[in-house]
Amino acid sequence: MLNLDQYAYLSNLSKQDSLEKLIFSLLTLIVCIWANEPVISIIIMLIMGGITVFRGGTSLKVFLKLLSIPSAFLLISVIAIGIDVTKNPEALWGPMRVLNSYIGLSVVGLPVAVNLFFKALGAVSCLYYLILSTPIVDLLSALESLGVPSLLREMMGLIYRFIFVFIETAQEMHLAQRARLGYTTLRGSYRSLGTLISNLLVQALRKSEALYTALEARGYQGELRVLEDAEDRITKGYLGIIGTNLGLVFITLGIRAMGRG
Amino acid sequence: MGKIILETKELTFAYPDGTKALQGVSVQIKAGKTTAILGNNGAGKSTLFLNLKGMLKPHGGEIFFQGEPVAYQKGEAKALWRAVGLVFQDPDNQLFSASVFQDVSFGPMNLNLSQDEVKNRVEDALQRTGISHLRNKPTHSLSYGQKKRVALAGVLAMEPKLLILDEPTAGLDPAGIEEIMGLIQEMQQKSGISVMISTHDIDLVPLYCDEVYVLNQGRIALSGPPREVFTQGQVLQELHLRLPWIAQLMEVLSKEDQFHFDAPGVTVSQARETINRWRAENK
Repeated sequence: MLNLDQYAYLSNLSKQDSLEKLIFSLLTLIVCIWANEPVISIIIMLIMGGITVFRGGTSLKVFLKLLSIPSAFLLISVIAIGIDVTKNPEALWGPMRVLNSYIGLSVVGLPVAVNLFFKALGAVSCLYYLILSTPIVDLLSALESLGVPSLLREMMGLIYRFIFVFIETAQEMHLAQRARLGYTTLRGSYRSLGTLISNLLVQALRKSEALYTALEARGYQGELRVLEDAEDRITKGYLGIIGTNLGLVFITLGIRAMGRG
Repeated sequence: MGKIILETKELTFAYPDGTKALQGVSVQIKAGKTTAILGNNGAGKSTLFLNLKGMLKPHGGEIFFQGEPVAYQKGEAKALWRAVGLVFQDPDNQLFSASVFQDVSFGPMNLNLSQDEVKNRVEDALQRTGISHLRNKPTHSLSYGQKKRVALAGVLAMEPKLLILDEPTAGLDPAGIEEIMGLIQEMQQKSGISVMISTHDIDLVPLYCDEVYVLNQGRIALSGPPREVFTQGQVLQELHLRLPWIAQLMEVLSKEDQFHFDAPGVTVSQARETINRWRAENK
């Protein structure tokens, strides 16, 4: 999953203005949660998936695979809400007698469960659209134009950069331990893992010190000031973004009006 | 004798734990030349570099930049900060940004230059190190050799007068070593920048360096042009170093096989010249 960023670099959408993408993603996410309608959620999933796959060129397989990760968790929680055990068969669809109570799909719970399932997937697909189209570096500069404090952005950037160093170091240590049969017994495994973790901590501290020295050597004065590579970004403007979301809002209001009337 | 860009006189430095890292180091770094610092691990090379960069204040002795003694404020020497560029050995310790372009721009941004100037310098540094095509790559996806180049570009963009490289060839494959050393040489011929490198790769020194200093336990044990330093096999061995292979061959030929060379040579081309001359004389 660490290669998610690679998909973003490969996407045709990566050249599009990152602030536009961020706002599109967040605005649609908010509409999805506000609307609270399975139909809207499904439309949003289709829009986000469609843009990512057809405009961005990310393979449908990747998108579906990513959606399947939260789906697994969602299904489990949805089952808990949608299936009910009660003494009153009226409250269930397809009640099955078990001893002296009934088990079946809850009349009240099932719509809630379905709605929840699609709402969550719709929201997640908004984020996937963003992640699969925007490299972290671009995302950080978009956050800057939104006025996110530099301390937060710097930390996000550093964490992102050093997660890879961290994982590499951990993998190397783990391999070296395995090469010396560190994980052949359960007892040994616990001990090896313990030393690995404590060693990683020491290494991380050493790395951060070395980084600080290196930053100082390049004139670090407390702020990581860098220049954005001002490439020609494709700007599409906010008309489409606002239009799409207004459309979604109107459909929601329409559905609600029909439900009442 | 060429102009001297940086000079130290009797430099001493000790770490808080009592390690005497430098014990009276005097070096003269010639402008526009490449100076090599040899020495085993713990000889004090990195400490010397941090002193030359003005990031550590020496406890004794003096540093002269272009003939002027360096002044310290709050333990730092601002004159050296700008004039000396230091490239660290492990690029993973130096590269902090996820974007190559942004990482290279960090140094020049700290020099408070205009955005246009920073951009020009970054472009120039990327081009000089041959990594323009990597500008939008995420740092973590680069190979070790590419990371080394990005680290070098990040320092070059600050346009230092003296470029110090801590083991620029460590961890590189033979092609990578040749590339990075060739790059440094080419850059030097074009812009006349002064270069200082530390290395364990002794065979590299006669090829790329004009001056050699051998550091041992915080002291300068040997110094001079490679052709002079690498005639002293016995001394080098005592310092846990060795002669370059060619110099070793020439030494064995003259000691064991009764060849008499007046100027043995330390590189392939020098040795070839010497042997050809010997053959012409002894026909």
